[in-house]
Amino acid sequence: MSAFLLNRFLQSVVLLVIVSIIGFTVLNLMPGGPMAQYGLDPGMTSDDLERLKEQLGLNRPILVQYFDWAWRLLQGDWGTSFRDGSPVLSVIGRHIFATLLLMGSSTVIAIAVGTWIGIRGATHRYSAFDYVATIGAMVALSIPTFWFGLVGIYIFSLELGWLPAGNMYTIGDGSALNYLHHLIMPSVVLALVHIAIWSRYMRTATLDVISQEFVKTARAKGVPERRVLMKHVVGNALLPMITLAGVQLPSILTGALVTETVFTWPGMGRLFLDSLGYSDFPVVMGLLMFSAILTILGNLIADIVVALVDPRIRLA
Amino acid sequence: MTTLTVNQAPLSWWQSRVMRRFMSHRLALLGLVMISTLTLICIVGPWLLPYDSLYIDLRARFAPPMTGEHYLGTDPLGRDIAARLFMAGRISLLVGFIAMILATLVGTLVGVIAGYRGGWISAVLMRTVDGFLSYPSIFLLLALSAALKPSPMMITVIIAITGWMEVARIVEAEVRSLKEREFVLAGRMLGLSRAHIMFREILPNVTGPIIVAATLTVARAILLEAYVSFLGFGIQPPLPSWGNMLNGAQQYLATAPWLAIIPGIAITVAVSSFNFIGDGLRDALDVRNDGG
Amino acid sequence: MIKTSRTGASYSRRQALRMMAAGGAVGLFAPQLLGKPAFAQTPPTAPTGRVVVGLSQEPTVFNPLMAHIEVDDGVNFSMFDALFRISPEGVIVPNLALEVPDQTNGGISADGLQWRIKLRDDVRWHDGQPFTAEDVKYTLELIVNPDFRAWRTTGHALVRDITVVSPTEITWRMEEAFAPYLNFLTETFMVPKHVLEAATDLNENTFNQSPIGTGAFKWGQRIAGDNLELVANPDYFGEGPYIEQLFFKYIPDNTVLYTQFRSGDIDLVGQAYISPDNYAEAATLPERVVTLVPKTSVETFYLNVEKPQFKDRAVREALYLAIDRQAIIDALNYGVPTVTETFMPKMSFYYNPDLPKHEFNLERAAQMLDEAGWLPGADGIRVKDGVRLSFANSTTAGAHLREQAQQFIQQTFAEIGVEMTIANLPSAVMWGDFWTLSQFDSAMSGINFLIGADPDVTNRFHTKAITAKGGKGSNNAQYSNPEVDALLEEGSRTFDPEARRAIYLKVQEIIRHDLPFLPLFANTSVFGQKEGLQGFVPNTNTRTESWNTAAWYWA
Repeated sequence: MSAFLLNRFLQSVVLLVIVSIIGFTVLNLMPGGPMAQYGLDPGMTSDDLERLKEQLGLNRPILVQYFDWAWRLLQGDWGTSFRDGSPVLSVIGRHIFATLLLMGSSTVIAIAVGTWIGIRGATHRYSAFDYVATIGAMVALSIPTFWFGLVGIYIFSLELGWLPAGNMYTIGDGSALNYLHHLIMPSVVLALVHIAIWSRYMRTATLDVISQEFVKTARAKGVPERRVLMKHVVGNALLPMITLAGVQLPSILTGALVTETVFTWPGMGRLFLDSLGYSDFPVVMGLLMFSAILTILGNLIADIVVALVDPRIRLA
Repeated sequence: MTTLTVNQAPLSWWQSRVMRRFMSHRLALLGLVMISTLTLICIVGPWLLPYDSLYIDLRARFAPPMTGEHYLGTDPLGRDIAARLFMAGRISLLVGFIAMILATLVGTLVGVIAGYRGGWISAVLMRTVDGFLSYPSIFLLLALSAALKPSPMMITVIIAITGWMEVARIVEAEVRSLKEREFVLAGRMLGLSRAHIMFREILPNVTGPIIVAATLTVARAILLEAYVSFLGFGIQPPLPSWGNMLNGAQQYLATAPWLAIIPGIAITVAVSSFNFIGDGLRDALDVRNDGG
Repeated sequence: MIKTSRTGASYSRRQALRMMAAGGAVGLFAPQLLGKPAFAQTPPTAPTGRVVVGLSQEPTVFNPLMAHIEVDDGVNFSMFDALFRISPEGVIVPNLALEVPDQTNGGISADGLQWRIKLRDDVRWHDGQPFTAEDVKYTLELIVNPDFRAWRTTGHALVRDITVVSPTEITWRMEEAFAPYLNFLTETFMVPKHVLEAATDLNENTFNQSPIGTGAFKWGQRIAGDNLELVANPDYFGEGPYIEQLFFKYIPDNTVLYTQFRSGDIDLVGQAYISPDNYAEAATLPERVVTLVPKTSVETFYLNVEKPQFKDRAVREALYLAIDRQAIIDALNYGVPTVTETFMPKMSFYYNPDLPKHEFNLERAAQMLDEAGWLPGADGIRVKDGVRLSFANSTTAGAHLREQAQQFIQQTFAEIGVEMTIANLPSAVMWGDFWTLSQFDSAMSGINFLIGADPDVTNRFHTKAITAKGGKGSNNAQYSNPEVDALLEEGSRTFDPEARRAIYLKVQEIIRHDLPFLPLFANTSVFGQKEGLQGFVPNTNTRTESWNTAAWYWA
């Protein structure tokens, strides 16, 4: 186990270095930079812009900037935002809640609906329901998320007026009901793709379990179908789903990015786009590293959990 | 593709079986019909319509669908949406296809080398793949399209850059499992060159997974083009693409919803077709279901 | 009730000038100029209620002296005070100062070099400490501190020998006479010496995230990415505040911003305002007041005159003729903006109304190009001396109305054998070196030519302001004309408004002739507010709609 962890740790470090190099290079390839936001300000002279660049350390060679940034990171200093001068970790911290709320609620929806569709599809194999679910899942994976969001806004906000078109809550009304009202559309839109994926995995997993001996035995013993399903099928099928959940942890940033943009949700995806827009390099790099660390942790946790749950797999 | 000719004789029997299995996959067939029809319409359509996709007529702006000769209505500049939709389809599909070819080439090359050579070469290549994968592809897409001058070819290349990793992963895993097989060992005994073994002996045995991955890459490329053009960084006007037709449509959701709805449906139909076909191919070629 | 009106141009420019010149009278007018309409109901005696302002960008910089963007200004104006303020009519009125210094009241010496400012003695910081001349000195010195990430330093860099005469009086000397400085001081907010002096780092400290000012509102709390709450400062020395809570809500999407205005979630549509597409519908909404407010920015088709395609004035003139400006205004922008021929805002006292009028005439445009020797080549695109009349046009990607105008212009240009390609970029790229170092062929943008309300445009049109040629400024068109240079130099030395006016009228005339940019229209914002909101007055001399939040109240 410890050899496995050491190996994984070393690999992770290499991965983080690669991620940071690619990120830094691409950001610096981008012409423009943090001064662009003042480009149209008639009072900011080229001298002012030069001075600011100097103060932010942007006039140094890229390699120097990179090593300075990396060295600070090693010491636990993630840098400070160019925009508001506060530490990157606290900037990210201020946006985590919104993203977690959105991801959490959409995951609940995805698991609930996806599990139901998957099991029903497997137990009623080749039924009309199964076909519709199969086709539906594939179409759901084909719909552009941003467009689906727009259509949702058109129908439910503009035409019917049932749901708010965006934001997390109404100012002056911080009640849970108000949050819930704002959550419905973005979390359903975000859940769509996940429902499709969960339901496919669940269907396959259920099919695998159903065909196994102990289920047949249980059935033969006259255990009610529903209980067989609940006890054996769900229990066993959840294993691959844990893996999937782990692997999907990093989508906390990517998955929510488009949805947060369409619904003006104040989370990390929105922060990422805004920071990219202002060329707030420390925050962008911070988010990239944060997402890479989540990816690594996600994969690692998934592997370990699976190993603990399933005695057949041993970490070597 | 010369490799296929070399191995033609032994392949013909499974080819027909694959064909049979694919054709019996109703969804895949549906996908094939859908995408063929869509492609045909996009190619022929512009000649059948009385409007030019670029012609601006401010007097005719915001005509709803089914008014006069504007079957799908007009956009904020009075251009015929049907004409634009078909022209856009040509571009979006082309971008998707070429991006797929580029991504598949790069991904296959990296995958074969990493899988066959192993050792530090593999480690470096595959960690780079992981590195690229742990990014939001939108980040790479936006940053690169900002860094490079936007042109249809550039956008295609950029989409390919963000989409080669899946192929590389799949190919690497396949090649790694194949390289200890007898026919490879035999090749080595015969003193065949590394390149020959990698690309002439092993690669043909990996075509199945590559084809499946490639089909799904087209679907993904079309979606990415749509998103990046929707944000205004992709295909530049006046050239239409399904994505840039949606650009600005958000502003007119209340007054002219068809501006948003029509291109979105086209994208969904195209992407679904490729996903259907990919699913069918996966079943027919018996490719294990992972990643995609 | 539906109420739609055009405001902003209704006052008398003459009157404004007289007030500007006659320093004594200004104090008398001040309370009214700060935005309380005479007919309004009386405001409440204690602060009550809340106002939510919707903004399409997020305010993030709360130290008002640090580099910031437009959207941060609303917070600055509400939390801080400057020595002076500028009224909607363009009149400078005292704020923290007791009176506006000029050459007649002795505040500014005859040569424009010695400045003397008298301060109010009844102002306190939000933490209870008194505001004194020491704070002014600290503020002016902080701006030019090389370690501090300051915003604009033009003007401030000329200040020397700051002397605190008494807690309520301060003097300094200017390195050279610089008339626009008074105007700059209306956007220079005072910061507390006792707080910032204690900070270990000038750029990164707690003040940035919970600032202390003298303004009508105090820091409340910030939900990053969503909103900022300010609360009433009951001890404010000036008029107001009348509302208890002031929210700035960040809504990055225009459609959502408008939808929330319609649904009543926000009380006032702030920066980015209502898109002209929604103007007609917005005007019919019940219980909402929608107003067209002229902006100081001019929508321009900017030409990089150093590019071989644009060096010839005939080309620039022909391109101007080939733009169907009226259609862009009426059809694409729903008649919201107005025509203009100059960079000077129409409401400015310095605006020149007598410039030649633009006409849309493709035949004359083609004829003009023929005469200048630009003849169609094999591919139909005009050529002269090996230079094809083909160029790219760039703007911020995603600005949909501007992108529509681009494509529309592209079509009429093609009709006279001019090829224009579109190459739009994300704003972080567009307005970086690409713009500041004049790497573009042509660009489209709403440009604010003035700094504050001062007519000085040295920064935009003087030869020494061409950054691409080693200059210092924002002359991105690389425009150079010795006559304009001389006029601009004279203008920035002149304090007398009438004399300055003559200078800037002439500048506008020459620029209109030379056409380093093609004016498309004078921008107009569509303001929207709830009906009961009183005291709200647009002020185009500031960059924000929230410049007088102290005077707002609910009727």
